[in-house]
Amino acid sequence: MKDDPARRRAASRVLLLPLLFLTVTLLGGMRVAADRSFVFLPPPLITLVMAALLSSLFVRGRLVRLGAWLGSRHGVLTNVSHALTLLALFFASAQAFNSVLPEEGLLHWMFAFFFLWSLWNDQFSPFDPFRLLRSLGVLFGTAFVLKHMILAGLSAPGGSWTARIAAAIFQGLSLGALAAPPVAPATGYISFFTLALYVIGLALVAPAPDEPGDVRSLVTTDSRQSIVDSRQ
Amino acid sequence: MRYPLLHATGIVATLLYAAFVVWVYATQPRTFKDVTQGARVAAGAYAVDASRYDTALSLFHRGLFRAAREEWERADPARADARTQFYIAYAFYREGWGRLYHDDALYGQGLQAADRALALTRAGSLIVDDPDLKMHTAAELKAELEKGRERSLSDLNPMRVLEERK
Repeated sequence: MKDDPARRRAASRVLLLPLLFLTVTLLGGMRVAADRSFVFLPPPLITLVMAALLSSLFVRGRLVRLGAWLGSRHGVLTNVSHALTLLALFFASAQAFNSVLPEEGLLHWMFAFFFLWSLWNDQFSPFDPFRLLRSLGVLFGTAFVLKHMILAGLSAPGGSWTARIAAAIFQGLSLGALAAPPVAPATGYISFFTLALYVIGLALVAPAPDEPGDVRSLVTTDSRQSIVDSRQ
Repeated sequence: MRYPLLHATGIVATLLYAAFVVWVYATQPRTFKDVTQGARVAAGAYAVDASRYDTALSLFHRGLFRAAREEWERADPARADARTQFYIAYAFYREGWGRLYHDDALYGQGLQAADRALALTRAGSLIVDDPDLKMHTAAELKAELEKGRERSLSDLNPMRVLEERK
């Protein structure tokens, strides 16, 4: 069979990307309870708002050029396929936030405020796709470490005396308002895998669907320059 | 347009996978076994374990209601068969029924099973033709269970001891 790079790109765009983002959508709300049963949490309203803000950043940061993805120059099937991919990206974003957002209590609102504040400030900052991805990586990475490593460690049942004392102090100081429901360690692994898939998916998204990979904005001269600038 | 077949395949695969994701969040399976059972129910390939069902029925007719319920639960682990759920509700009713008082907890569980049977039954399609039973539809059974849980002055009527179990 003849190797056709355009065909491979199309296959990646219409098959791989939506399935990858839908996998993120599926796993983003998945938790494993302490008794090892699955719990699927649908995206809270606040994560949909965050996903909308993030989608706006994708467009502003030229990670997605809407005019190139959807429009009358494409056929109906292509437009439907691209629209489904973008919709999958939206829900994957909402579930990626859901994955690192504490489920309830004061911490839920503290994290939500932290995300909203960052996303709102980013709306008014100059962006390119590389900076946007780096910023998202830091945002999700910080939230992941806080929720799945620090807070999960403090709320885990059992453990060493030191851990129990730290948990008791934490609970006492916060008057129980910062308590998180205990979950199995598998939840952290699932969240890590979900976020990794999400970032891989974002890296695979081309600003314009028909653009060859080697001219994507992520690896353009501008992006390389932005790396150099940030190191100086 | 280039690659129409590829786009059509992508659309179908995406819609099917999206439907699966929505189904998972709507049904909230708790284990991988629940996922496979639910998928079999959705695909119409689910069937109750007939031998366990028959064993449970014979236990029920012998008055061993708790054992019958447990056997029916094993016969219909996905709780997707209306007839089995009807019998489970009936077993709760018969075990909870008393000449002087009814067990509210058992009646409550019976109501839940009757609701499941009703939800699984298309209007008027389930009539259980068992001569041992005096109620043959889930709606009758539900009404009887609800009546048993109600508190009223008629509870103090001494003639209640003459009521028959259905």
